[in-house]
Amino acid sequence: MDGRVIVITSGKGGVGKTTTNANIGTALAKEGKKVVMIDTDLGLRNLDLLLGLENRIVYTIVDVVEERCKLKQALVKDKKNPNLCLLAAAQTRDKTAVTEEQLKDICEQLKKDFDFILVDCPAGIEQGFQNAVAGASEAIVVTTPEMSAVRDADRIIGLLEAKEEIKSYKLLLNRVRPNLIKSNDMMSVDDVVEILSAELIGIIPEDTGIITSTNKGEPIVNDEKSLAGKAYKNVARRIIGDDVPFLNLEEDTSFVGKMKKFFSGLMGKEK
Amino acid sequence: MEQGYIENGFIVDVSNAKKTSEIIYQLSTILDLPDAHCKKVCLKLGDIELSASELLSIKALVESMNSEIEFVTTLSPATVDAAMEIGLKVSELENKVQAPDFNQGEEAAQETNKELEKALDKIFGDSGLDEPTFQAEKEMKKLKAETSDSVPVLTEFKNESELVDEVIDNIQVVQQEQEEPEIAEPKAEIAPEFSEHIQTAQVEQEEEEQLEEEFAELEDFNKQLEQINKEVANAYDSDSEDDFLQIQKSLRETEKLPTLYIQRTLRSGQSITAEGNIVVIGDVNPGSEIKAKGDITVWGILGGIAHAGSDGNKYARIRALKMHAIQLRIADVFARRPDSINIPYIQKSSTFEPEEARVKHKQIIISKMYEN
Repeated sequence: MDGRVIVITSGKGGVGKTTTNANIGTALAKEGKKVVMIDTDLGLRNLDLLLGLENRIVYTIVDVVEERCKLKQALVKDKKNPNLCLLAAAQTRDKTAVTEEQLKDICEQLKKDFDFILVDCPAGIEQGFQNAVAGASEAIVVTTPEMSAVRDADRIIGLLEAKEEIKSYKLLLNRVRPNLIKSNDMMSVDDVVEILSAELIGIIPEDTGIITSTNKGEPIVNDEKSLAGKAYKNVARRIIGDDVPFLNLEEDTSFVGKMKKFFSGLMGKEK
Repeated sequence: MEQGYIENGFIVDVSNAKKTSEIIYQLSTILDLPDAHCKKVCLKLGDIELSASELLSIKALVESMNSEIEFVTTLSPATVDAAMEIGLKVSELENKVQAPDFNQGEEAAQETNKELEKALDKIFGDSGLDEPTFQAEKEMKKLKAETSDSVPVLTEFKNESELVDEVIDNIQVVQQEQEEPEIAEPKAEIAPEFSEHIQTAQVEQEEEEQLEEEFAELEDFNKQLEQINKEVANAYDSDSEDDFLQIQKSLRETEKLPTLYIQRTLRSGQSITAEGNIVVIGDVNPGSEIKAKGDITVWGILGGIAHAGSDGNKYARIRALKMHAIQLRIADVFARRPDSINIPYIQKSSTFEPEEARVKHKQIIISKMYEN
């Protein structure tokens, strides 16, 4: 088995790297792929929380690197999906505890047993970013339709292009609010793609369900009704290689939405 | 000095000990006290006879506790010889220390001591317990006297062999049954009855058989009861006696360890490791770690990872006002917070229930503090 190592990065913090990682990982595992997620955000780990695996972590990536345990011992299996594993970051250490070479080595070892290795990258472009990117051959750049996030994504893409190991990178646009785009208060998807001139792999709508899912420790892809969950599922399928059309976010296709449209139409006429 | 007065020392009275092991046990508990360090010891022995080798081992024990035997006092001449043999000073401590100002004779001193002991026994001794046992003894003696009285009566009829044999059998049965208090009374009646029977030279076979049957039944029942009692006692012992001693011992050990005192809240990413115990006045937030060779006590909410007894002490404990830990580890035993209450943040609330985690049957159990 020769797994694909994909790093999920953004430059700017708070755009949804970790959420994306947890959801894509879970979605891929649901598709029957063997997936391992590596949290490289040493000292500020969150991925375990999003997956609800916080209480199961015994060994971390630092323990592996410092040879206190074997790599397989440190892999935390998901509660529901046996195809999904997590290699957690150490909370009590900082980025210097792991080097690029060590991370590369870990990725090489995991490639043998897993289809996908998703590396969760810390914010910033310092050592943490360099470490995370070291073992990867593909990248997903997460950004939101805001100027600051787009600027940082641009910087990241520049750095990724300079890396020989990164064969391809894709853009994932997160927290999109169709209503704001409509009213010209938010950059449109096309604007962002044009600025960054990168291939788009997914558009995720803003979803308040993300907050509850994070607090519950349950990725939103497990929620069949959620639009964001659906969008993440599509991203996973595109990663595998399926040709999936983008969701039409602007048109609310639900029954309630149609009713709303109908009534608002009536009201408009009355006015 | 020579007469049995010791400076910078104290008297260890083990005169009530009947075995060498008792002396050693008492000595070790006394010398273990911090006050006893580097002081001279006067060993007060009773009438127990100790050999030179036993005395030597006691001496070694005392010396191993950083103390020294100044002299011994004993009532046994054999022990005196033994002590001389290994070079220990022997002295009569009692008259010198108890009544140093009065020129009382040895015997008078001993008498006063006895009186004193009696008086002390009255005050401290559990006289309430002694009396009933004494009465029971009296009753037993009475019963014995009664049966032994009836035996000579029977032996007079030795010549009538068959009858006498039967009667003796009966009496043996009676004697065995005496141990059961319920049947003890009818027996007293039976004995004279039998003497009448013997005089008439008629013993009813049926009655005898019946008695034997009853006795067999009783014996069976007793055996069953004994077995049940043993089982119960075993089940109780395995959990309590050994464990209890070990726990007491380890408690004393952890008391001796240095304690790290932290008077702030530990936040995510902070970790503290200590060679001894840790006391945190504040919360231990999720994402932080505390690791101690001894006990961990959190005066606040424990939300992170706590590892007590990190060098393998499975008697170490973790206590917290609110136990919300993601993981608890004691020695090599591991427990994690159930998924059902997987809240990524600690819910602050005003209700606090002090809880304690410890290892029982290779599992970590958490119990409320006031239930212990």
